[in-house]
Amino acid sequence: MFEWLFKVPRHAYEQGELVFGGELGWIWWLAAALLVGLSVGFARRLKGWPLGRRFAIHTLQFAAVALLLTILAGPALQILRVAEGVNTVAILVDTSSSMALPDANGASSRLDAAKRLIAEGIGGSEKTAIFQFDDRLRPAGSVAALDATGKRSRLVHALTDLTANYDQGALAAVVVLTDGAQTPGDADDLEPIAAGGVPVHAVGIGSVAIADDVEIAEVLLPPSPPPDTEVAARVTIRHARAEVGEVRLRVREGESVLAAATVRLDPDTPVLIKDVVFPSGAAGLKEVTFELEGPDSDPLPSNDTRSRLLDVAAAEHRVLYLEGEPRWEFKFIRRAVAEDKAIDMVTWLRTTPRKTYRQGVTGADELADGFPATLEALYRYDLVILGSLRSNALNDAQHAWLETFVAERGGSVLALAGRQAMAEGGWDVKPLARALPVMLERTAPDTAAAYTAGEYAAQPTAAGLVSALADIGGEDEAAREERWATLPMLADYHRLGPMKPGATTLLEAQGSVRVLPGAEPTVVVRGGSAVPLLVAQPYGFGQTAILATASTWRWRMRTPPDDERHGLFWRHLIRHLAGTAPPTRRLAVEAGYDVLDLNVSLKDARFQPITNAAVTARITAPDGEGFDTVLLPVAGEGAFGKAVAATKPGVYRVDVTARAAGEMGAGSTFTRLARVGGADLESFGAGLNVPLLTRIAAATGGRFWTPDDLGELPQAIAFGGAGIQERERMPLWDAPFLYLLLVLLKCLEWSLRRVWGGI
Amino acid sequence: MKPAVVAAMAIFAGSFAVATEAPPASDLTVFVLTRIEYDSVGGAGEAYYGYDGRIWERWETDFPQAEQNFAKRVNQLTSVVASRQPARRRLTAPNLGDSPFIFMSDVGYMTLSAPEMRALRDYLHNGGLLWVDDFWGDAEWASFERAMAGVLPGKRWRVLPIEHPIFHTVFDIEQMPQIPARDFAGRASTAEPPWVHRFPAGSLSVPTMRAYTDDDGRLMAIATHNTDIADGWERESYGEWYFERFSTKSYRVGINVIVYVLTH
Repeated sequence: MFEWLFKVPRHAYEQGELVFGGELGWIWWLAAALLVGLSVGFARRLKGWPLGRRFAIHTLQFAAVALLLTILAGPALQILRVAEGVNTVAILVDTSSSMALPDANGASSRLDAAKRLIAEGIGGSEKTAIFQFDDRLRPAGSVAALDATGKRSRLVHALTDLTANYDQGALAAVVVLTDGAQTPGDADDLEPIAAGGVPVHAVGIGSVAIADDVEIAEVLLPPSPPPDTEVAARVTIRHARAEVGEVRLRVREGESVLAAATVRLDPDTPVLIKDVVFPSGAAGLKEVTFELEGPDSDPLPSNDTRSRLLDVAAAEHRVLYLEGEPRWEFKFIRRAVAEDKAIDMVTWLRTTPRKTYRQGVTGADELADGFPATLEALYRYDLVILGSLRSNALNDAQHAWLETFVAERGGSVLALAGRQAMAEGGWDVKPLARALPVMLERTAPDTAAAYTAGEYAAQPTAAGLVSALADIGGEDEAAREERWATLPMLADYHRLGPMKPGATTLLEAQGSVRVLPGAEPTVVVRGGSAVPLLVAQPYGFGQTAILATASTWRWRMRTPPDDERHGLFWRHLIRHLAGTAPPTRRLAVEAGYDVLDLNVSLKDARFQPITNAAVTARITAPDGEGFDTVLLPVAGEGAFGKAVAATKPGVYRVDVTARAAGEMGAGSTFTRLARVGGADLESFGAGLNVPLLTRIAAATGGRFWTPDDLGELPQAIAFGGAGIQERERMPLWDAPFLYLLLVLLKCLEWSLRRVWGGI
Repeated sequence: MKPAVVAAMAIFAGSFAVATEAPPASDLTVFVLTRIEYDSVGGAGEAYYGYDGRIWERWETDFPQAEQNFAKRVNQLTSVVASRQPARRRLTAPNLGDSPFIFMSDVGYMTLSAPEMRALRDYLHNGGLLWVDDFWGDAEWASFERAMAGVLPGKRWRVLPIEHPIFHTVFDIEQMPQIPARDFAGRASTAEPPWVHRFPAGSLSVPTMRAYTDDDGRLMAIATHNTDIADGWERESYGEWYFERFSTKSYRVGINVIVYVLTH
């Protein structure tokens, strides 16, 4: 229709330039004068008409005259189009195994759908060169003989390879027939493809969601959990179930089931996150398998299972707890933490105005003078907890260190409620006040004290329900809410100032809560408005939090002995606050399909980057064969890295030795393990990846297409602006659109005259 | 402090006064000393006794003056913020958990019901600590030990050596002090005479601090036997010589225990 009306394809209009081919000679000027004169003369007949009506008629007349003059001027579209017969359209067919899945209609496989499109001449009239790609790009022999058996899909890699290395003539366009289900680990830099200047037209084959499929999309584990503790795994489950249902999620080590949970699948929530906790067990390397006991109708059971390597190591979080008055909260925090081998807590307590009591110190010198005497000593801790402690326990330098401990070292600070805490303890005028998540404000003389006794119920916010900082267990959201709702009341509250913009409230305290006596079941009446109880915010490289109570010990003392909520709360809060603090030396190993990406970060005791270190890595393959390599400085200060080939499936061991310039001895050595291969990568995320294909097309000037709507593809290729092109002028004077418009203008004028009685 | 003969006189005089009811200590932001009410076996001179013109049940020995004086000294000498008003509760009280430290005195005739044993067992397993004071001789120890055997079956009391941290949290105590009741404070020996205690009294001369510990070695209950630490608090105004000879020692022990309980 467009082409009939305008005479040339839409793509030509998008790319072309409007020119006028007629000479504006005396004939055109004579015609213009004649037409204008006729219009003016005719207009005199409208004398006496109201101004609005005259204006409307004149506008229509002059528009018609302008249109006629335009036609007389010989309009034309000057375009560039690919020269016929000398360009090539490259057609890339995805032959990874995900292309064996049913296409969008379910009638045939995705690969068969691609073959059909090729047979129908998807490349238009241009010469075509057909390639196939999975792990690598290569020319396709016979299209009919293509099969979807590739174990990997590297779309970006294939396009980069083609645009950089194609030397068989000019490329007018690239047409990719794919589901876009790219294997994780493939490159994602589209710049080299875009730089090639060849439009990529991505034809998406398959459906976004595979009906009834349930898959484990991702499993996140802490890098090195300590032995005999609980490991919290975050499992992302993706499904395309049409009806509400349930599946069972199991965590296994070998044949031993470590944990299990029921997952509710709701069609309104196609992607959901399930947190599952399992015991870390003894120290050592172990392979943990997460599997879904999917329904029989699951079309792709191979994506129901994912394995992860878990390196259970005796890493510890160093915590410094400073307390100004002996009180129950101090005792019960210590007791909760004592059960966690991953937490090494050192406490400093003022027992009398002139005496202090240290616990957990590693030597006579640690905290001998109270707060750490040097920056380096403070930076050895990951988390500092401030109890009911006056700020004058620290000198000015120590106050400054505490702020940089968060901002630069990346440590965490947790401030607790108390009569000597926060503004009441003078912290509002210290540097740490900048880092805390709420404004510290002193209490006016005529108002109630900020820290007071009273009954408050702790309740999680929506953010708190999913935060590791406020985790007291519970399989799902409803169970977690129930566990919070049945906790004993808190017995105090520390009024907080306004929240800072980056702060998040994880827990709230609700006052005026009372339990109706004798009611069965128990009826709890909540009256007052909720106030922030646990607030956290990132600050610099670290984070800070405030807990506006010091009576969580009631959760221990007023519950049965086997109730673990108090201990879980403190262990999770401390472990996750301390766990975000980076170590001085860190090695990250990311395993790709056949590559290990090594990244080392080195800092000194003051957490300043070490830029002049010699960093070497020893890579030991699964078969025991090893080699050494030097890691080079990469982007970022104190960062060293390298990608090394890892072609043997199995567990690789990476030992890195770092020696700073001038450092004697062996330097520091750290080790990581990584698994290469071991899963059918093609069965995960096998749905049609529209966002990736759209992104690739947009970056190159191409378009995303569906197989049912390819009618304009040949023209999009012809006017794509790539390859060898020729300039062409397409006259538009006889475009039906112009004459239809002229008729429309005159009809409209005639109608108005008839209505207004002017004919 | 509790001669049986005075008890009989008090009964006949009709002076059945009881200790003043303490208001509930609802402010849990401060340290509250909590006295446990319990039942004792026997009659006059056993479950109760007369002294200072009134009848005393065994549980209320020294209460509340001892706690009030002790709280005052705790506030003066330490960073602990203590309530001057002690609390009193039975072991079965629903809010027993609001007092992670409880105190019992004169437990030589104590008897515990099954619900009390169960409540105390849960309390100790939760991390609460019980301090038992002012019982003397072998018979009173045996009676107390029997009562506690129902609380934590199989648990054994052990004497805490003077090197134990509880003797060094604030003050360095070199010897477990023996504090006698006021009536016997002027004697050469600090051990109370056997005739004021349950027969057969056996040895009363060596004061000890004994303890139940949990699997991690933390104290669950302590018993100061053959000594009356709380009397040193209660009678601090008895005389300068008494304060210097006994009250100072009592306070040193008391403060060390309080700080230990609040830190372990």
